[in-house]
Amino acid sequence: MSLPVTVGGDAPGIHRSRPAAALRGRRFFIGAGTIIGLLALWEAVADVGLVNPMLISSPSRVVAAGIEPFASGDIWQDINVSAREFVWGYLSAIAIGIPLGLATGCYKRADYVCGPFIDMLNAVPRVTFLPILILWFGIGIWSKVAVAFLGAVIPIAIATHTGVRTNEARFIRVARSFCASRFKLLTSIILPGTVPYLFTGLKYGAGRALLGVVVGEIYASTAGIGHMISDAANLFDTSTVFLGVALFMAAGVTVTALLNRIEQHFDRWRPEMQRR
Amino acid sequence: MTVLVKQRYGEQRRAGVLRVIHEAYFGYERGILGVAAFTLFLVLWEGLARGWWADLLHIGALRVKPIMLSSPSTIAATAWQMYFVTGEIWRDLGFSGLEFLLALLVAAVLGIPAGLIAGRYRDLSYAVDPLLNALNATPQVALVPLVVLWMGAGLGARVFIIALLMIVPLMINSFAAMRTVEPKYLTLAHSFDASEWTVFRTIILPAATPFLLVGTRLAIGRGMIGVVVGEIYGAPVGVGFMINQAGQTFQTAKVFVGVLTIVVAGLVLSEAVRRVERRTERWRPTQAQEQQP
Repeated sequence: MSLPVTVGGDAPGIHRSRPAAALRGRRFFIGAGTIIGLLALWEAVADVGLVNPMLISSPSRVVAAGIEPFASGDIWQDINVSAREFVWGYLSAIAIGIPLGLATGCYKRADYVCGPFIDMLNAVPRVTFLPILILWFGIGIWSKVAVAFLGAVIPIAIATHTGVRTNEARFIRVARSFCASRFKLLTSIILPGTVPYLFTGLKYGAGRALLGVVVGEIYASTAGIGHMISDAANLFDTSTVFLGVALFMAAGVTVTALLNRIEQHFDRWRPEMQRR
Repeated sequence: MTVLVKQRYGEQRRAGVLRVIHEAYFGYERGILGVAAFTLFLVLWEGLARGWWADLLHIGALRVKPIMLSSPSTIAATAWQMYFVTGEIWRDLGFSGLEFLLALLVAAVLGIPAGLIAGRYRDLSYAVDPLLNALNATPQVALVPLVVLWMGAGLGARVFIIALLMIVPLMINSFAAMRTVEPKYLTLAHSFDASEWTVFRTIILPAATPFLLVGTRLAIGRGMIGVVVGEIYGAPVGVGFMINQAGQTFQTAKVFVGVLTIVVAGLVLSEAVRRVERRTERWRPTQAQEQQP
């Protein structure tokens, strides 16, 4: 048995140390290559006729299906409806969830009162409430707003709560002993410490709100991308189904990227101590 | 400082009966307040069906009739009926549970090894990483109509949907787990000519377990979404189907019984995983990836 001379050398399965730039290039090419390869495979399987293209569609067919509605502008109405549902639900979830999380984090009595409700809602997928929400709000936009709101508000509130609770107790004691006002305490210690948790919750919440919109629209609706998907599936138009899925995917990626941007911005003004 | 001292002193000076009440209340404040809030909620709700504040139901976009709101007493009675008198819910519950377990099995058997293997080899991890991200960003429930198209409304279709939702967190977490394995250990094992299986069993598996548990917890949460969504969209049996059918026929109490059943199932399942997690907490290295859209 020979011992390897170069520790951390070219052993199979061990991540080799190479110049970072070279690795990044390799990473990019392999990643992009895999995706392009899989798309090509999908296209080939459908074109050769291994599987009926009517069932699985293919990238070219999805693009082709996308050209017509975008050119005629029909799809914008669906996008508009879905976007409105998402934005209203998500924004109202932020408006309620953050103050709720701050309250339950800062005041233990608020936590005692609201905690059981939040825990219970957290244990259940909120899309379960959809049939009830449809009964209450009808099949229009508001039932989706409600389900998106319910989906997002819980993770946002919980993340904010956790963020407040994990604040450095020392900082708060110091601020108190210097007679800092409650407002000062909130703005200069509690809020900055909460930011990383808050953004985790916001990203998670965005996914949940989107999920609510998707499920709500597929379940019962008169317009929206989910409605388009559901309609297309009933007509065996798989290309349009995939188009809708791709649009939802793009929406999810965009919102996450946007939140990452905002988080970076907030990270900059966070006090040095917190970063460690 | 003086303010603090005075406050503490003041609290200690209370005496006699007052103090007993005081201690009894503050000793159990959490429970007392929680139960009080919950009771108040139930009373308010019951009142919306029969109290004087029932008129509040007609504000703005809300067009709620008492029949759509049901009431705690009606729901309790219906639950009793469904569970112990007619027993109709057991069939639905059984099928939903079966789907859930089968899907968890499929997702774990496929997802965990796939994630671990993909994380083990660098080039493979480069290939899989963007795919996982794309899969994670896709709301897979949007594929439900398509899956129903492909596979019909049978058990297989729903197991497929649920497993599809579950497999993503499982793969992502086992993939992430591989990255936290100490490279020095791997080098050491390699220099002693350890076989791949030995490396897996003695180094990778212990390091990955906490991540796998987090992945399982997330997968359970997503699986419940899958059960509900898969069943309300075209299924002949199951709790989600029951909820959907009751909703369409305005049997609101039944809908609530279904929802509460899922709440209880969710609480039990997440508590079970958390128990297991707590056992392994001692040797948890770093935080696992909790994010998912």
